[in-house]
Amino acid sequence: MTLVALGVALILLGGLAAVAMARRPALGETLFRILFGAGCVAGVLPALVVLSGATVTDLRLAPVTPFGPWVFGLDALSAAFLLTVLSVGAACAYYGLAYLAHERAHRAVGVAHLLLAVLVAALAVTVVARAALPFLIAWEVMAVAAYLLVVLEHEKQEVRRAGMIYVVATHVGTLLLFALFAIWAGGTSDLSFAALAAHAPFPGARGGMILAVALIAFGLKAGAVPFHFWLPGAHAAAPAHVSALMSGVVIKMGIYGLLRTLLLFGAPPPWWGWAVLVLGTVSGVMGVVWALAQHDIKRLLAFHSVENVGIILLGIGAGALGVAYGHPLIAALGFAGAVLHTLNHALFKSLLFLGAGSVIHATGTREIDRLGGLARRMPGTAAAFLVGAAAIVGLPPLNGFVSEWVVYQALLRGASTGGMVRLTGLAAVVLAFIGALALACFVKVVGVLFLGTPRYPLAAEPHEATPAMMRPLVGLAAGCVAIGLVPVVVVPAALRVGSLVVGAAGAGPQVDVGAGPATAFTAGLALSLLVGWGAYAAVARGRKRLEAGTWSCGYSTPTPRMAYTASSFAAPLLSVFRSFTGVRTHRSAEAFSTHASDPVLDGVLVPAWRGARTAAMWVRQVQRGGLSVYLLLVGVAVVLSLLYLVVAGRHP
Amino acid sequence: MSGSGLIALGILSVVAPALPGIAGKTKSLLTGRRGPPVLQLYADLRKLLGKGAVYSRTTTWLFRAAPVVVLVTLFVAALLLPVDGREASAAFTGDLVAFAGLLALGRFALVLAGLDTGSSFEGLGASREVTIASFAEPALLLCFIALVLATGDLSLSGMLGTPLAAAWPRAGASLSLVGISLFVLLLAENSRVPVDDPATHLELTMIHEVIVLDHSGPDLALILYGSAFKLALFGVLVVSVFVPRAGFSTPAALALLIAGLGVAAVAVGIVESAMARLRLVRVPQLLVGAAALALFATILQLG
Repeated sequence: MTLVALGVALILLGGLAAVAMARRPALGETLFRILFGAGCVAGVLPALVVLSGATVTDLRLAPVTPFGPWVFGLDALSAAFLLTVLSVGAACAYYGLAYLAHERAHRAVGVAHLLLAVLVAALAVTVVARAALPFLIAWEVMAVAAYLLVVLEHEKQEVRRAGMIYVVATHVGTLLLFALFAIWAGGTSDLSFAALAAHAPFPGARGGMILAVALIAFGLKAGAVPFHFWLPGAHAAAPAHVSALMSGVVIKMGIYGLLRTLLLFGAPPPWWGWAVLVLGTVSGVMGVVWALAQHDIKRLLAFHSVENVGIILLGIGAGALGVAYGHPLIAALGFAGAVLHTLNHALFKSLLFLGAGSVIHATGTREIDRLGGLARRMPGTAAAFLVGAAAIVGLPPLNGFVSEWVVYQALLRGASTGGMVRLTGLAAVVLAFIGALALACFVKVVGVLFLGTPRYPLAAEPHEATPAMMRPLVGLAAGCVAIGLVPVVVVPAALRVGSLVVGAAGAGPQVDVGAGPATAFTAGLALSLLVGWGAYAAVARGRKRLEAGTWSCGYSTPTPRMAYTASSFAAPLLSVFRSFTGVRTHRSAEAFSTHASDPVLDGVLVPAWRGARTAAMWVRQVQRGGLSVYLLLVGVAVVLSLLYLVVAGRHP
Repeated sequence: MSGSGLIALGILSVVAPALPGIAGKTKSLLTGRRGPPVLQLYADLRKLLGKGAVYSRTTTWLFRAAPVVVLVTLFVAALLLPVDGREASAAFTGDLVAFAGLLALGRFALVLAGLDTGSSFEGLGASREVTIASFAEPALLLCFIALVLATGDLSLSGMLGTPLAAAWPRAGASLSLVGISLFVLLLAENSRVPVDDPATHLELTMIHEVIVLDHSGPDLALILYGSAFKLALFGVLVVSVFVPRAGFSTPAALALLIAGLGVAAVAVGIVESAMARLRLVRVPQLLVGAAALALFATILQLG
């Protein structure tokens, strides 16, 4: 634990160094790089130790702290999330140094680096806190730091609007967390997690209330439908490396919160498991359908975060149902799948966001319909992005496949046991649907961004990303490949976390879930692909090869304007989901395009907000600014209070 | 990995190119034409493999990698199936997910290769292919779930191998529905009528054919062979469900496999000559219908 504390301190120091050396940015950034990196290593090491089965001692600040002892601990659940936070955090911070370097002249870049360090440190503290108060403090610091990073480009009106929606949404969530801990503690003053866990089990409605509030509060942070409305705007408005960190890690704090709640709460009632499962299917399907409708690369990726949160919730739902109906293996598999997918999604989603950042950096636009053919101009970025795309779609032999395989296994094992749990089989079908739609969407993204020809003349010839920007991409891509190739290492570690949440320690790993043969499969597949490619290359070497224009049954004068656009590509699928995508179609003689709006935000929340504001105008009549009116109001209030006391019969 | 499994795989890879020929011949005969020889595809493959290739200047390495990826994924997928009717060459818990993942990987590569040419014809085909796959994949998984429920096994080797034969007396009705549903998926996944028409000559109405317009020479050979092999793989799925071969001796099981594949190909030909292709907007409905059949099969076993 001391190492983790040291890591957090080093990360913060690094951030301070970046600001303190504002006069000499190169030196400051070097210090930032060294201190931040060292801090991440210091934090990751104990996390790996814990995930391999060892334990570390807790850090206690007692008895001077308010609301019970402040404890910080590292169990397998915290370790899995700490690993996610620090590994992805480091990649994003390093990328940010290069990404913001050209803005040094007209922006306080050092402050942005400090904020990022604060954000990563707050995330780390959130997952190791073992008492409500430090948890809430870290939670709030995280939310505020993320807000400030989102509005870094505050001169744009769109950015300010997205930031405002985000800051309102996240504070509603924080308020709900206050309510959660208040209901949970039930009037007692010791808010350490150990004391909270001792309150369980709850009789009657209180337990249900706690779980419902937790689901909404943490669902809001995770961006599950219908609480996702703040997410696409905020993630699109932030600079690329901040989007990567937010989509990859910050929203996962909602997942962490749900799992921690379950760990402290004990067995949830079945309705809660079903609720999470339904939330997961809705988020998964709607997330990917809305993503298909987006042609702004960052909004599209943000909607895919909604989809992947849905997949993670499917795992948590299966886990909760396994606990509720007494199937520890299904439960362990469900939670393990959720945790593993959380790490995997953090890796490939930040990879995709950083890749998108390089594209935006090179071309100056987020509209994929304006781009094309970038694979020839930015081959490295294209290859890294392709790895991320294949991983997020869940294709073997990459990491997305491994975690989805674990979630599938939980759902299918549910289907093949008796009783109500069998219905989880339907969730497996939905998961297949989500996967196939995600494939469609990423074919669209990769195909339109990187392949073919540019749809419009580009302002300037795009350039490949600098090595400093490429390195984090390569590192994240390597992580995706590595996890995909060794399920035998990561699945038992994930099962350890899953068993911890189930509460029956060791229930999972004793059963053979097939991680060994799965490793043989993914590694064998990778090898077969390499061998196949090698054989093909060897045979093709001697052959005659001609270069020509694209044939396509002889179209003689191809122009870039004829290239297939993202709008056209997604149209057949969107026509199936026409009724709930909020897509508007524009046709003219020479162009076809579609534009999407968010049904929850634009259809419900914004009108509701307008209504509330109109209603508030009536109340505003009271506030006229004249002293005499206020004195009158005070007088009326005093008289009314006295009258109340007289009527109630409690006058002194 | 058993000897009979490897022999069965070998047979499968040799007879696969005959299947489209059988389907085409059936169709020709039923519609009063003579049609190309059954073994035409073998000759085509030989011719194409001997040629050089033409590549568009727009394309990248992805275009060249795609045919290899398609073929490798199909071969690895075949390893997961109990082709000999008993057990698969490779199996693990939940490998049905891997089977679907392998098909998806092949499709991902092929469709991206289409988009790599920058032509709107290929884009059109790619868009249709992924649309249809979005509905075919959940239907396939539902079929697998019905088989999981019937056999209590979580790997394809068990779901389609020895335990399936034992499940027939218990769950015959349900398994028949699964078989029919799988046959519809065979038509959809292999670009057959009523989803796609392999004989069409108008690019605007094509799906699979239009994605590979720009592939030539050995690349095209790999893709054509891959299509035939994929048809054979789905044939194995259908035959395994309808004719569990675990109780037969190895030669009989292999003979049954070949005969079963032949029958499946003839059935494809009959469907192709009996009906026209559906409008594209109707195709998702067909696949949802197939999924509904599999869902009934699942519900039948819940009782």
